[in-house]
Amino acid sequence: MAERILEVEGLRTHFFTKGGVIKAVDDVSFTLDRGQVLGLVGESGSGKSVTGFSIMGLVDPPGRVAGGRVLYRGTDLAGLREDAMRRIRGRRIAMIFQDPMMTLNPVLRIDTQMIETLQAHETIDMAEARRRARDALGQVGIPSPDQRLKAYPHQFSGGMRQRVAIAIALLHHPDLIIADEPTTALDVTIQGQILYEVQKLVREQGTALIWITHDLSVVAGLADDVAVMYAGRVVESGSVADVIDRPLHPYTRGLIDSVPSRNPRGRPLHQIRGMSPSPLKLPPGCAFRARCPRAAPQCQAMPGLDALLPGHSVRCFRPHLPEAAQ
Amino acid sequence: MTATAAAGKPPIVALEGVSKRFVKRLDVAMRVANMLGSHLREEVVRAVDTVDLAVDEGEVLGLVGESGCGKSTLGRIVAGVHAASGGRMLYRGQDVADLHGQQARDVQLKIQMIFQDPMSSLNPRLRVGDIIGEAPRVHGLVGRRALDGYVDEIMGHVGLDTTYKRRYPHQFSGGQRQRIAIARALAVKPEFLVCDEAVAALDVSIQAQVLNLFMRLREELGLTYLFISHDLGVVEHLSDRVMIMYLGRIVEQAPTEALFAAPNHPYTQALLAEIPRLVATRRTYTPVKGEIPTPLNPPPGCHFHPRCPHVLPRCRDEVPRLKAVAAGHWSACHLNDQA
Repeated sequence: MAERILEVEGLRTHFFTKGGVIKAVDDVSFTLDRGQVLGLVGESGSGKSVTGFSIMGLVDPPGRVAGGRVLYRGTDLAGLREDAMRRIRGRRIAMIFQDPMMTLNPVLRIDTQMIETLQAHETIDMAEARRRARDALGQVGIPSPDQRLKAYPHQFSGGMRQRVAIAIALLHHPDLIIADEPTTALDVTIQGQILYEVQKLVREQGTALIWITHDLSVVAGLADDVAVMYAGRVVESGSVADVIDRPLHPYTRGLIDSVPSRNPRGRPLHQIRGMSPSPLKLPPGCAFRARCPRAAPQCQAMPGLDALLPGHSVRCFRPHLPEAAQ
Repeated sequence: MTATAAAGKPPIVALEGVSKRFVKRLDVAMRVANMLGSHLREEVVRAVDTVDLAVDEGEVLGLVGESGCGKSTLGRIVAGVHAASGGRMLYRGQDVADLHGQQARDVQLKIQMIFQDPMSSLNPRLRVGDIIGEAPRVHGLVGRRALDGYVDEIMGHVGLDTTYKRRYPHQFSGGQRQRIAIARALAVKPEFLVCDEAVAALDVSIQAQVLNLFMRLREELGLTYLFISHDLGVVEHLSDRVMIMYLGRIVEQAPTEALFAAPNHPYTQALLAEIPRLVATRRTYTPVKGEIPTPLNPPPGCHFHPRCPHVLPRCRDEVPRLKAVAAGHWSACHLNDQA
């Protein structure tokens, strides 16, 4: 039995705005074992990034974690005091953001930033810190790390900057890395390089990884498990093979069917009608109801996230069950 | 010249040896420094380097490349946003540079462009009805009295609810805003649309809706597209023919099926290998080495040679020319001379 690193239970993160309460994350649960890669997939506004921020304790007002537990090796992070959280954040749980320029300080050299990161959590002398920083840069495939340590962030290309951000996340050999769309802004060939490095490192170090993305096909090649989010809730979760080859939820199925390569060339693409509902005016019941081809009167109540098949859960009253397949 | 030489009819848009250089001129301080003995030189980027292309009427030509390869600059030259620094552009066989006055304006209207981010290409202070109606009114395509009905008709074409005519762009979602941008382009009755990453900023489910709209408009209005994208899946689905661009040059062009079935250029092969596929098998990513070099100082010879797994000595100093490797399939690679 693999070691349980993270257990998220009924997490709710709400934003209390003037216009009303936005339930950005509403009753989200999942678990993560050592070395496991979870893909958290959803469209903009689905709450996938806020889930990541909530685990890290980085939700700013007017938002706050309004309920649920985030258990890191049995400790509830949601109830932790800031100084205790600071000992975990960045050290045991690290985060990588979409825009590495948000992680990196533009006026400090890379070595300063990396050594600072090390010294924030450990008593370590400069020479040792520098050696670890150099090794981390080498690990993520940055050529001539000794020289690059002395460079400033603007002297790196976008892909290299993201590697530096990953190297910083890896400095303390964390148990868990939360990666929020880290390759979305990169070119295909550079994305390929980063995915290759990440895949290798996770495998070598046994780090658990949450990969947040809107792109199911990136997750398909990288993750063990997938959780699909829609309007703040997980609507389907399971192994990559189960979710992508046998999607149960009409939304997941719609997403997969609308990918161009899944459609005959030049023919109209399968499309999900309508658009995501405003987070301020979520309809009661299933939030996907208005766009769903299988909606029925019973969908006006909120379905639970039930394991209909072993290891494969779905939040739907009328899922695409194998025997009911059309 | 290029792949298509359709029987008799000239292509709707053709570029012949088109280049675009961006020059960063020396400012006063730099010129003074030069007088005092410095050796500062003007920086020149060859964003587009002697490109030939021809698009036939009704065709969808996909243009693919990574950031900085010059695909957007090329699109802007076709749309008339940038003037080319060299070469000719022909519209239905006529050199655009020879046209003046009304004729030049007519050609300009026939080619419209759609950008990636509709929020920055739509005037936030105009109502949707005015955004769509302004150009046809100014150019006298529609009379003042008929304008209202005309705007309704265009909005209907792109699937926008006509009751939203008095709203502002910020009141719409991303997908709807892109529909407004498309409606604005269609309002001047174009024949040719340049779509520059027109679906890149949209969510997956909305992207499918907008791609379907492009395909429907092509059938209904007989439009021709230059479809610029970094997303090979989207380009494969939509295009009849695909061109691959790297550092300002076309490295390969072919009918879509041929290109995806048998990519010839090592760069195309690398690009195709990198596309994340929606297949539930753990895959090992095998990355191409290195990154796109800076266009300020591109490598000599074949621009791809520092990253190419099959590099030959001659690749380092001799620029490969586009040569036919099969019917309609052109590739610029020295390896093809070996066989």
